[in-house]
Formats: sequence, structure tokens, C-alpha cells
Amino acid sequence: MELQIRNLSKRYPNGVQALKKISLTIPQGMYGLLGPNGAGKSSLMRTLATLQEPDEGSVRLGDIDVLHQKDRVRETLGYLPQEFGVYPRVSAERLLEHFAVLKGITERRSRREVVEALLRQTNLWEVRKEKLGGYSGGMRQRFGVAVALLGDPRLIIVDEPTAGLDPAERVRFLNLLSELGENAVVILSTHIVEDVSELCSRMAIIDRGEILLEAEPLRAVDELRGRIWRRTVPRTELREVEREHEVISTKLLAGRTVVHVYGETSPGVDFEPVEPDLEDVYFTVMSGHCGGRGVEPVEVGV
Amino acid sequence: MKLREIFRFEVEYRLRQSSTWVYGGILVALPFLMMHAINGAGGYMNAPWGIAFASIVTGLLAVLVTAALFGDAATRDVAAGMHPLFYTAPIRRADYLGGRFLGALSINAVLLVGIPIGLLLASWMPYMQPGKFGPFVPAGYVHAYLLFILPNLVLSAAILFTVAALTRSTLATYLAGVGLLIAYFLAIEFAPASPRLAALVDPFGGNALEHLTRHWPPAERNTRLIGFPEILLWNRLLWLGVAAGVLGLLHLRFRFAHPGGAGRRKQRPGSTDRERPGIAPGGPVVVPSAPREFGGRGRARQTVAIAGESLRQIVVQRTFLAILAGALFVTFTFGWEVGDLVFGTSSWPVTHLVAASVLSGPVSTIVAVLIAVFAGELVWKERDVRMSDIADAAPVPDWVSLAGRFLALAGMIVLLQAVLMAAGMTLQALQGYTRFEPGVYLRILFGLKLADYLIFAALAMAVHVVVDHKYAGHLIVVVFYVFTMFAGQFGLQHNLLVYGSDPGWVYSDMSGFGPFVAPFVWFKLYWAGWALLLALAANLFWVRGREAGARRRVGMARARFTRAAASAAAVAALLVLTLGGFIFYNTNVLNEYRTPFESAGLRAEYERRYKRFEGAPQPAVTAAELRVEIHPGEPAADLLGTFRLVNRTGSPIDSVHLVNVDPAIRTRSLVFDRPAERVLVDGEGHYSIYRLERALQPGDSLRLSFDLTFRPRGFPNSGIPTAVVENGAYFDRRWLPMIGYQPGFELVGAEERREHGLPPHPPLPPADRSEGRRTQLPGDADLVAVDAVIGTDGDQTAITPGTLVREWRENGRRYFHYRTEAPLPFGAPVLSGRYAVVEDRWGDVDLRIFHHPGHDFNLERMLRSMKASLSYFSEQFGPYPFDQLRIVEFPRYTGGARAHPHTIAFSEGSAFLTRVEGDDVDRTFFVIAHETAHQWWGGQLVGAQARGGALLSETLAQYSAMMVMEKTLGKEQARRFYDYEMDHYLRGRQVFTNREVPLLEVEDQKYLHYHKGAVAMYTLRERIGEDRVNTALRRLLQKHRAGVPPYPTSLDLYAELRAVTPDTLHPLLRDLFQEITLWDVGAEAVRVEPVGTGEYRVTLEVAAKKVRADSIGVETEIPMDDMVEIGVFGGASGDPLYLRPHRIRSGRQSITVTVPRKPERAGIDPYGKLIQRKKEDNIVKVEESAAAGGVATDR
Repeated sequence: MELQIRNLSKRYPNGVQALKKISLTIPQGMYGLLGPNGAGKSSLMRTLATLQEPDEGSVRLGDIDVLHQKDRVRETLGYLPQEFGVYPRVSAERLLEHFAVLKGITERRSRREVVEALLRQTNLWEVRKEKLGGYSGGMRQRFGVAVALLGDPRLIIVDEPTAGLDPAERVRFLNLLSELGENAVVILSTHIVEDVSELCSRMAIIDRGEILLEAEPLRAVDELRGRIWRRTVPRTELREVEREHEVISTKLLAGRTVVHVYGETSPGVDFEPVEPDLEDVYFTVMSGHCGGRGVEPVEVGV
Repeated sequence: MKLREIFRFEVEYRLRQSSTWVYGGILVALPFLMMHAINGAGGYMNAPWGIAFASIVTGLLAVLVTAALFGDAATRDVAAGMHPLFYTAPIRRADYLGGRFLGALSINAVLLVGIPIGLLLASWMPYMQPGKFGPFVPAGYVHAYLLFILPNLVLSAAILFTVAALTRSTLATYLAGVGLLIAYFLAIEFAPASPRLAALVDPFGGNALEHLTRHWPPAERNTRLIGFPEILLWNRLLWLGVAAGVLGLLHLRFRFAHPGGAGRRKQRPGSTDRERPGIAPGGPVVVPSAPREFGGRGRARQTVAIAGESLRQIVVQRTFLAILAGALFVTFTFGWEVGDLVFGTSSWPVTHLVAASVLSGPVSTIVAVLIAVFAGELVWKERDVRMSDIADAAPVPDWVSLAGRFLALAGMIVLLQAVLMAAGMTLQALQGYTRFEPGVYLRILFGLKLADYLIFAALAMAVHVVVDHKYAGHLIVVVFYVFTMFAGQFGLQHNLLVYGSDPGWVYSDMSGFGPFVAPFVWFKLYWAGWALLLALAANLFWVRGREAGARRRVGMARARFTRAAASAAAVAALLVLTLGGFIFYNTNVLNEYRTPFESAGLRAEYERRYKRFEGAPQPAVTAAELRVEIHPGEPAADLLGTFRLVNRTGSPIDSVHLVNVDPAIRTRSLVFDRPAERVLVDGEGHYSIYRLERALQPGDSLRLSFDLTFRPRGFPNSGIPTAVVENGAYFDRRWLPMIGYQPGFELVGAEERREHGLPPHPPLPPADRSEGRRTQLPGDADLVAVDAVIGTDGDQTAITPGTLVREWRENGRRYFHYRTEAPLPFGAPVLSGRYAVVEDRWGDVDLRIFHHPGHDFNLERMLRSMKASLSYFSEQFGPYPFDQLRIVEFPRYTGGARAHPHTIAFSEGSAFLTRVEGDDVDRTFFVIAHETAHQWWGGQLVGAQARGGALLSETLAQYSAMMVMEKTLGKEQARRFYDYEMDHYLRGRQVFTNREVPLLEVEDQKYLHYHKGAVAMYTLRERIGEDRVNTALRRLLQKHRAGVPPYPTSLDLYAELRAVTPDTLHPLLRDLFQEITLWDVGAEAVRVEPVGTGEYRVTLEVAAKKVRADSIGVETEIPMDDMVEIGVFGGASGDPLYLRPHRIRSGRQSITVTVPRKPERAGIDPYGKLIQRKKEDNIVKVEESAAAGGVATDR
């Protein structure tokens, strides 16, 4: 089963064109959708999760027409939104049971089993009787995962899941997700590059409503080998360096400014070659050196 | 299954909220308290009808609870941010919406059982007066719940749930709830004329209930079950259908969609791709430095900035605009018929009526709602959008936040008032009235009302701050508001104790706000002191940061109670104490403060102590000399007077009893012209007894001189005296001492008498007992010769009955000397004001109207009526004995109209401002004619103090006025009047305390001597003719004009009428006057057959019944054998093809007549001339089925 998105476009009433004729094919497994804030990731996620109507385009999940057969999609959908709240005065267990019924698990015994299993897996079993109002951010996020995983979904959409989690929680969370890719299409939408590099076998980079790159992360990194150069620059010279070279990113390392520069050959003596990572891929694409702006998205290593 | 789960979850969730139990408590407490506060019209308050009515009323208030419950059920998911989880679950819309709706509905339905429980509890309370509640009738409660409470709940729930689910805003839901209530009140106000239609289109059933029970007499009202009458069931079905429709609409329109992404606003052309800054510009951010100020000026600016921003946020909200639209709508609908007068005529929209009645009446409540709602919004605005963390951490002191918000609220109120003022002026202009008086608008809207609103706003804000729960806060504010409105019912009379209250005010065109301004201002300043304390409390408990929980907040409050706060509190407390003390000094020391119970107690005591002196021989006043000095500017009046008292009884009088009924009058001295010793003086009842050294022999006279003064000091808590004001003084006989025990001062109401331990009021002596022959006027004077000199301001005119002998100026004041030509009934009215005068003549009689300049709309009409009345009455009844007739206007602080010898005093606005247009019933004309008629009936003819006495004055005046109206304005107008009188008679019957009696025995029942009397006399005239009736009246007057004992009674009138009535109609006379008779006739079917020559034979099947009723309406059927009109009508014009009286007996009968043209309708008593409760079935429509002679029925 794969998810086929064709020519999806969406414009908001205030004039913003959130999605511009997006086309993607997403197979089973972990798929990362990378892009900056305002790129259109959440709009795309909400459309796929049947919460929004696009202006044009089509989406098919296997043989289900996602846009027009919303009920069928919802039967097999797990959606963890970017922002959500909870009823503060209800316990996790009760609310999860409630959702289990809503998702069709109407038989009591099997429901109990599913709920228990999910609570254990998300490490919420010990606190299942506490009111959700008292949960920390990480616990709430895990609760959201539990809800999303109810009913064995075939399409799982996870929108910016690790923003706001501390490092330990983030690792736990990613571990949780990593198992899911076996039997479902899992779309992980994020602006945190590490999430994608750690989890996803395929990815796309999206910005301003357009897909700039569709690739397998490893292959994309491979392509950049030998083209990324690094130099430590004093702050006062930064402007000059930016003018003269193709700077793709600027970082601080222990208080000193470090620039990464794209170049087929070495840009200068002060520059040293550096082993590229997915972040470099990302910045390279964003700055226009790889992949198109307004051009057909480059498919690398398909 | 999913529906069931959602339903269960909703119920569980609701049960876990403490607010649910609070609502339940309120729904029990409200009806419980209501039963304490209302004093029924004497019937059982738990009669099935009363239960239904109370259920509807409480149900209306419960709409707010419904708004809260269903608003939460529909918007909770979006508000909590949980909606993405729900909307992506595989559930159907119907399940989701249905489960939520039904869950909330069942909870609400259970909570509403609290209403019958509360009502029941009230009836079981042991301290309730016996007789107030009757036996427990369970069916009454069950019927009320099933017929009214439940269907009303379903309707309001459907509407509110739909609004909440589609707008996703709890505020909008609340306002929809309020809007529902307002729409309901409007629907009642503007109910369509047909009662059946009105009963159908009434969503909550109040009108339907009223229609059903409209004419139930007291006996039925106590016991009769509502049952399941047809029209009520149709009404319920109709509105349940509407509810279903609304829910269907919801199901159609609701989407599981992300809110905010699906706007229907026009898409702006041209994509605005946001410009993104270049990649990683690098380099740190450099912020230019700016000066910051945290001192006084800075704080002031911050306050103003917060105020401005908050106000802007309020005003752009769609809900605000919706409410504003609602207020304007109410203004125009209520205001269109401003000045709610009888006969559906209205008044000219003079500015004070618009500003005070329209814009400050029902609209006032809307403004209060706005204040309550937006006080909450202002206090919660950061928390609502989750910005509170950022806002709370900013360097803004608490008081600046609070002050800024309050200023915004004040600004909103000012804005509202400005809009309302514009609306008021527009309303006036649309009605063709252009005398806008912006000064009056400003003083009322931006002075008086603004002060009220600001004080209320302070309370609303403080409540919302201290109560940390928005909806509980709203509820508390509403409860508080309702409480202040009804505080009097709960025994809190003193205005120092009820938040925001004051003694009230009335605006008069003649004298402005008169004596009301000063007390108003003092009270408002006092309450402003309290408002300040509330503001300080709000400041101490201002919510900032994340600490909730009562204990934490108290701790924080204590920490905030700095020296500055303490001194501010001290200042406010000082303000409260000094102003309160000053007010208390005025209301309780300078004036007497009495609760209504205490005042009644005084009168009871008066009766207990002195009634034994009733009937003791006392001298009568035969002449009076008065020297009055009116000082309108102060205001004050001084009065020197001398009575000539004559012993008209057969025995010597050894002591004179004097009663002073007006507590505002102080007697400076009281001197007899011969030795007399004061043996009793009772300050409370103002009763004093003077023993004469030598008894006054029969026929002898003595003189009594008195010196009185009216100088009000300070102001009382209520009932500010208005007898003398800056322009428009009006006082009368009641200022002067009265001779002998005055029964008129006793308590009259049966319940009041019981409360004070008095036996029931003895009825007036029956009309046929000779001992009852005493004059009807205050029992100490017959006809009195008056010589009065009245001094007033140089620019005012003083008026009292009599001929103006001399007029002069002295010391800048004007003096008028009046003397009566012949002794006249002694009412001694004195009026003084700056009048404009319009003069005319009728024969030898001078006609004059003294009116406030500017109240000149109806002068022509009034003169016309005076002339027509004088003409008709002098021709028919007897000559007019005076050479002048005057109408004088007095300020509207007091109402009504009073007829004195050749002087009619009218309250401002009643006849002067009535607006008569086109074919409206000319009420002004009628009222002037009625009062002019009193110059004969009540003036020349004075009745005995006995039962039926009012017949001789009021009934005859009504009849006379109707005749003049018919002669001058046409039969149609008179007929409409007649219908109005009939309706009011029938309605008056339902009030329990009005024990009905036959006309000849009427005591004080206005609905009888005004309305039934008019009906009876006019009906009689229709049957025996005008000449005969007038002859009877003329003879009556001739026989008793002299005005000496024995005085005429209703029996004398009856005898004269009987003499002119043919024998065959004597039974009718008896039915109308001697008995309480009701008829019930109806047309059941009509058959029509053409008879060849273009004529038609009409056969009418009718049923007839006649009953006699007793005082509480228990009916007994009697055989009927009366002449009743049968009418056949055809075609467009209302003229009958056939109209003649037929002899009708009890039961069914058939009547056949021939008519020249094709008939359309036929009926029995088509003009409603019989006294019937149900007139709708008098006429049936004819449906053609010529040859076959089909039977047509229509009801």
C-alpha cells in the first residue's frame, strides 16, 4: 500500500498559497517530510488527515480516495497533530478507552487489552489513572501517540512530534515510532533534521508549498561528499565571506562562527573539506544549489 | 454503539463537573425564592395554572444554564484543542453530534426537575401564610413539566447547541441564549391580533397559557388542570418540529474540519507569497535602545493604552456588533409604540419618554448584559488566548491592568449610550417628531444612566476577578442583578442596603427632574464609594501568574495589601461612612423611614384606636377661607386657613376630632374661636381631639383656624414628595385638617388587614338601607363656599375652583383671589405653574386649557371635546352650572386625572401627549368627555356612601362620554370602545381578590364600575334607545341635584332606568345590573339555499346558554329566554344583509331567515353585545353547496 499525492494545491482565505501542486509517492515505511516553519508541512498533514480540503489535486491510499472517502480513511488513520490539548479532568485510561470505542473497538475485552498494551508501550501505565491535566508535555505527547495507534492504523501522520521534548523523551519517542514502519505508511513531518536522519528511509524537503527534493537520506548525503567545505570565521569578516562564497549555513561552535560552504572545488586555503550530513543536504537544497526552485524537483538516487 | 458511548461519556463528564451541581442548585433555588417574592392575585399559588406559569418563567431563566451546558458540549473539543483527535476518528457526524446533544439534554432535563421541586418545597414551608397554597395536586407539576419545561428545553437546547457547534464560540452561545429571551419577549409584545395565532407562534408557551386561562374566574383558576388542550399540543408540536429542523440544519452544515481553514471570506486576488529573508544572515542582533518610564506619567499612559486597545478589541468583535444590533432592534420595536397607553394608541415620542422609557427600560437590561459579559471578557482576555504568561510577566502593575480594563468598559458604555441616543433621535424623526432635546438625552443617558451603569460595571468586574471561573462569574453577576431588581420583595427596602439603588427618578417636561436629582446624586456617590472598595478588592485579588486555588490567592491578596492599598481602602471606607451617614440622616432622621409593612401598621393602629369614634356627631365644614403662599423654588408652601364648622346633626357636639392625613404637612397652630382643650394628640395617626368648653348646639357654628406648612427637609428613602415643585405645584384638600374619623384612611386590602391583625373590612352599607345615607365625599363637608387667596412666583399662575375676583402683584410675586359663586363640593385643589393658555368659548362658558408650552398636540381635540360634551350634556341631562371650564396640566410625578368643579386637572402626558392618527380611537377626546361628564355625575349629582355609589359617578361618566364620542366621531369608534370595555371587564374578573358583585352593589372594583358599567349602559341604550336612557338620567339629576340628604344610591338610578324600560326588557335590565350574568351563544352550522328570485334562505343552527355567577366565578345555569341579534352578512362590505333580534332560548335551535343576496357569513350576536367569554364561535362562514343544501361548519 502506498500513498499517492498528485497536484495538491491549497490557498488560505488570507491569500497565502500553502501548497503548490504537490505531488509525492510515499511507500510503506518511515517517510520524513522536512522543511522550515511555514513551509506547508502542517497544511499537507492536515489535508492528508481529512481535516482540510485542498483546492485541487488528488490523494489515494491504496484504493481509497482520501479526499472523498474520509470515513474509510479515518478507519485506518492515526494522527498525532502538532498541537493538541486534552480534557484536564479526565484520566488517561478513560479517555483512551473512549477513543478506542470511537475507533471501532467496541468489544469490551479486546478493548481493555488494546488499551493496556498501548499504555504500557507508551510508558503511561503507571500513571494511567491520573488526570491528564497533570501530565507533562512529554507524557501528553505519548498519550497522543497511544490514541493515534489505536485500531492498528495503516496511515500514520505525525506532525512535529519532538518539538518541545527533552533529549531523553525524544529518544524514547523516536524509539516508539521506529517500530511502526513495518506495516504502515508513516509520515513524519518535522523541521528537526536529526529526526529524519535517524528514523526515515525516505524523505522529501518542502518549502513554500513546493517539494524541493525527494530522496533517500543516505544517498542524498552521499551525493554531497566532497562538496562541502568548512571555515571558522571571526564575526567581523562574516559579511565579506558571505558575499564572496556560497555559504549554505552558519553555526556557532563554542562561541565561534563556523560557516559551511558549497563548492565543487575548494573555495580557498582557509577552507577544509568536511564530511557532509543530512543537515548539509537540507541547507544546500534550501539555498538553491541542489534541487529546484520553480523547477522540477530533482529525484536523487531513486 | 458509538452514539451510546459518546452519550455515556458526555453524561459522565458532566456529572463530574462541580458546575453541574451548582446549576442544579440554582434551578431549585430560583423557583423556591420566586414563590416567596410574588404575591399572587389571591388564588392558590400552587394551582396548576400557577405552577405552569412559574415553570415557564423559571424556564426562561434556565435558558442561561442550557446555554452553558450545551455551549460546553459543543465547543469543549475545540476549546481544549482536542478536536484533531476527535475529528480524525472514524465516527459519523450524527453519532458525534447526537451523542453530545443527547448527553447534555438528559443532564439538563434532570436538572430541570429542580423547578417543580423548588416550587413544591416553597409550598411546604411552614412559615408560609395559610391560604396562600392549596392542596398538593401532583398532576399540575407533571403537566407543567411535560407540556412546558421539557419542550421548551428541547427547543432552546437545539438552537443553542447549533449556534455553539457552528460558531465554536461560547460567547456567541451565551448571547444566543440572551437573544432567545429577548426575541421571546418581543414575540409576546407584538403577538398577532388573533389570539389563536398568538398562542401558536409562541415558542415557550406563555401566550398560549394566557390565552387558555384568559377568562377563567377565580374558582376555576384554583383547581382546574391545564390538561392537554388542542391548541397547546399544536403549539408544542410546531416548536418541536422547529427544533428538529434546527438540528437537521446542524447536521447538514457541521464538518469535522480544522477550524479557521475554511473561511468563506473573499479571497484576495494575487498571491502574497511571503518574502523570506536570506539564508543565515549571521551576525548578532543589535537592538537600538529606547527610554522607558515607570513613573506616574508612564503608568497613566499605559493605562490609557490598555484601555484603548481593550476597547478596540471589544468593539470589533462580531458578538458586540450583534448585541448592538439587538439593542437597536429592541429600541425600534419597543419604541415605536412608546408611551404604553390604552386602546393601542401611543404617545408622541417626546424626548423624555424615549430616553427614560425606551432607552432606559428594556434596553437597560441589554446594556447590563453587555456589561456583565464584557467585564468577563476583559478580565479573561489574555487567558482565553493563552497569552497570560507573557502578559503577566510584563512590568505592568496590577492596578494599571485593572484600571485600563475598567476604562475600556466605561468607554464601551459611553459608546453605547451615544449610539442609543442617535437611535432615539432617529426614532423620533421617523415618527415625524423633531423636537429633539439633546440636553435631556445627555442628562438622562450620560448622567443618570451612565452613573448606574458604571457602578454596576465596577461590580461586574470585581466579581469576575474574584471568582476565578468565567461562567460562574457570569451567573453570579446575573443573579446579583436580578436580586437588586427584586430586593424589595425580599424585604430589603432601604436603598442604602441594595447595591446601586436610589430612590428613583421621574422626568417631567414641566419641572425637569424636580426633587429627584439631589438624592440620586448622594446615593450614587455613596455607591461609588462601595464601587471603589470593590475595585480595591479586585486589585488585591487580581489574577496574575499560575497560582490558582483560594488559599494561594488569599495569601497573595494579603501580600498585596500595602500601605498604599490600605490608605486607599481607608479613603473609600471613609467615603462610604460619611456619605452613608449623611444619607441615613436624611432618610431616617429628617424624614420618617418606614417599610411598607410599618406604614400599613400605622394605618392599622389608627383604625384600632379611633374607629370607635366613627359616626360620632361632628360638625361639617360649610365655608373655608384660605391664604396660601407657594414658593416653588424652595420648594415649600405655607397655608393659613379658617373653616366655618356647623353642627348639622341633631345632638350637641362636645368635642371635635381632627385628622391630618398627609405626613408631609406640619401643623404650626390650630385655634378654635372659643375655649377648647386638647385632650388627645396622637403623633402617629395625626389624630387629635379637642374638647369644647361649651358644647356646640345643633345649628350653631364655630370657626377653626389653622396654620400649616409644607417644607420638606432632606430626602426620604422613597416617596419623595412632589406636591410642590419648581413648576407645576398641585395639592388639595388632603393637606387641610379633616373633621371626624376618616374611614378612607383605613387599610383596604384583605391580605394586608390579615397581616396586621384586623378583621376583614366591613363592606359599605347596602344601597337600600336608609342609615347608609351619607355623602360620598370625605365625610365632613357637603358643599363649601371657598374664598382663597393664593400667592406664587411672579411668572406663575395659580388656579383653584371659583371665580377670579382679583389678581395683583406684590413684592415680585403674583396673587390670585378666587371665590366660589355658590357652595361647591370641597376638593380644594390648588395648582400653580408657568402655563401657556389657549382660550375659547362655548355659549356663555369660558373654556381654557392651561398647559405646558410645547404640549400643544391635542389642544384642538380637547376643545372640540369640551364643546361637544358641554353641548350634549346640557341638552340631555341638565344645564351646566358654571360660567367657565378649565383644564390644567400637572407634572407626571403623579398620574391620573381629577375632576373638580369647573376644573379638570390632568397629569402631564396623558391626554396632552396622546397621539391620535388616522382612524385611531381618539382617547384624548374620550377622556376629556369623561372628565367633563363628571361635572354632572359626581359634581352636581353626589351619591350616598353605600354600595353601588360608584355607578352614579363613574359609570354614568363612561356612558356619557361614549355617547358624545358616538355623536361626534361616529359609531365605529364607539363600537371599538365598547369591545375594549368588554374585554377589560372579562379580564378583571379573573383577578381573585376582585370579588365580583352585581353592578348595583359595586364597592371599589374598577373593572366593574368603569368597564362593566359602560357595557351595561351602552347595551341598554342599544335596546331601549338613547332618548329613554337619557330621560332616566335627566330625571335622576333633577330629583337629587340639591345635594342635601338623603343622597341618591344606585337603586335610585335603577328605579329611573326601570321606569323608562319596556316591561319586556325588564329581565335584561335585571341581568345587566342586578345579577352577574354571562351568556354563551354560538353558531354551529349554516345552510344556504337559493330561492329563485335572487334571494337566499339561510338556516342557522345555534346553541345558547345563560349562567349566573357568584363572586368567585362559580357558575349556575339558568334558563335563557332573551332577545339576541341574528345577523347575516355578505360580500365585502361589513354591512349586514339581515340584522334583527330573535327570541333565543337555552339549548339548540334553528333560525331561518331570507336575505336579498348571497350571504357569506351568518351568526348569532355578531357584534358581541352579550357578555360572553368566548366570542369566536358566534359567526360561521357559509360554504356554497346550493342545490344539495350542504351543511357548512366552521369554527
